[in-house]
Amino acid sequence: MSVGYVSVQWNRHKRIYDACVAGGIVLYLGVFFAAGKALYTGRNAISGEILAMRALATCAFLMLNVILCIGPLARLDRRFLPLLYNRRHLGVATFLVALAHAAIAIGFYHGFGNVNPFVALLTSNTNFTSLSAFPYQTLGLFALLILFLMAATSHDFWLKNLGAPAWKRLHMLVYIAYGLLVMHVALGILQTQRSPWLASLVGVGVVIVATLHLIAGQRERRHDERGSQLSPRAGEEWVDVGAVDDIADQRGSTVTVGAGERIALFRYNGCVSATTNVCAHQGGPLGEGKIIDGCITCPWHGWQYRPADGRSPPPFAEKIHTYRVRVVGRRIQVDPTPLPPGTAVEPARVEEVQSA
Amino acid sequence: MPGLILLGASIYATVGTLFGAGFVLRGVERVDPAALGAPWTFRILILPGVIALWPLMAWRWWCAPRTRGAA
Ligand code: HEM
Ligand code: FES
Repeated sequence: MSVGYVSVQWNRHKRIYDACVAGGIVLYLGVFFAAGKALYTGRNAISGEILAMRALATCAFLMLNVILCIGPLARLDRRFLPLLYNRRHLGVATFLVALAHAAIAIGFYHGFGNVNPFVALLTSNTNFTSLSAFPYQTLGLFALLILFLMAATSHDFWLKNLGAPAWKRLHMLVYIAYGLLVMHVALGILQTQRSPWLASLVGVGVVIVATLHLIAGQRERRHDERGSQLSPRAGEEWVDVGAVDDIADQRGSTVTVGAGERIALFRYNGCVSATTNVCAHQGGPLGEGKIIDGCITCPWHGWQYRPADGRSPPPFAEKIHTYRVRVVGRRIQVDPTPLPPGTAVEPARVEEVQSA
Repeated sequence: MPGLILLGASIYATVGTLFGAGFVLRGVERVDPAALGAPWTFRILILPGVIALWPLMAWRWWCAPRTRGAA
């Protein structure tokens, strides 16, 4: 949350996460390099530069696949949430690994002539109309530019100063980068006449990424469709959105009312409160979060809001929409008209049933 | 043609770097008061983005209130 910027808001979780990422990269590159040297000997030996370039290339591509799977996985199963938490560092690391790959590629293939290697990259092959000779490096260059833009704007400073919608749109370019890279790798393999195992691995990656997105998307849609059947009866403002007992204590749940935004409901200390489901940070699903220290805590990066007025505890100043809520019997009812962000709403009291 | 693209890109990046240095030292605090007194590591971290998006950030700096925002 924003009170004065620091370079990285370090904490234990992020350090462990980053150590795992760095360790994983080093391990992958090392194993790839050693295996390449051991498997290809004599006449088939591969030079160190090419091996390093391929190790970095496949590492970056693998990381990108992981990054794209984390989003839908976290939607499908809460146990993946810790991966989402620091996904941005993973993205920056992916860019750096890809950059190293591209640097070797440009230096090695184009760096020996007296033409500027970048000019050589753009001019050495201009068969833009032929698939089997298409300059696949150019596709890689565009993908790398996108990865750079995303890495360069990953700090919260950019989220705030570009505005969340523009920032989100910018980071959606990752799917274009992914498409470009699939082509980059596919055409690269085609043209260097390599064995098909790499191509099938790329295919497997694409199928996994696409399937996870489809499943997660379908689940969201079903949730929203169920919600669209909920709407106030004529002349009434209150909508029944479910039973108190469907929400565990200190937890949230999510409902959609009519065609409106999703609403998050929270049960805590004998009360029920309702706020928007959309976190002010990056739109994380607040209803899937918990109440920690009396505050709604976003499952994505841990921003917090007080349930009764949708404001972040001081010194923070973030605000989210709240909704009027009441409990009738054991049923929760909300007024689906969002109140201005930060509006205080009396939490609904729940008669706790005393179990004998 | 590729030579021209490259020349354009180099000029853009050079201007961006010069502008970026000024921006992270001064402009950023005007554009976003939350950056007042932010450490130099933060400034280095946003520099690549400022170089890439310098026309936008120049516009923001230009439009920012002349007085220093209250933090
Ligand atoms: C300026 C940008 C880039 C250039 C010039 C470039 C160049 C190349 C070249 C020349 C190859 C063939 C290597 C070989 O002989 O095996 C290649 C393969 C590959 N590149 Fe790139 N690349 C760029 C960006 C990227 C990016 C951003 C990624 C992202 C993850 C990437 C991933 C790959 C992969 C996975 C392969 C296949 C590796 C293999 O053949 O074993 N490239 N690239
Ligand atoms: S989306 Fe980042 S904390 Fe909620």
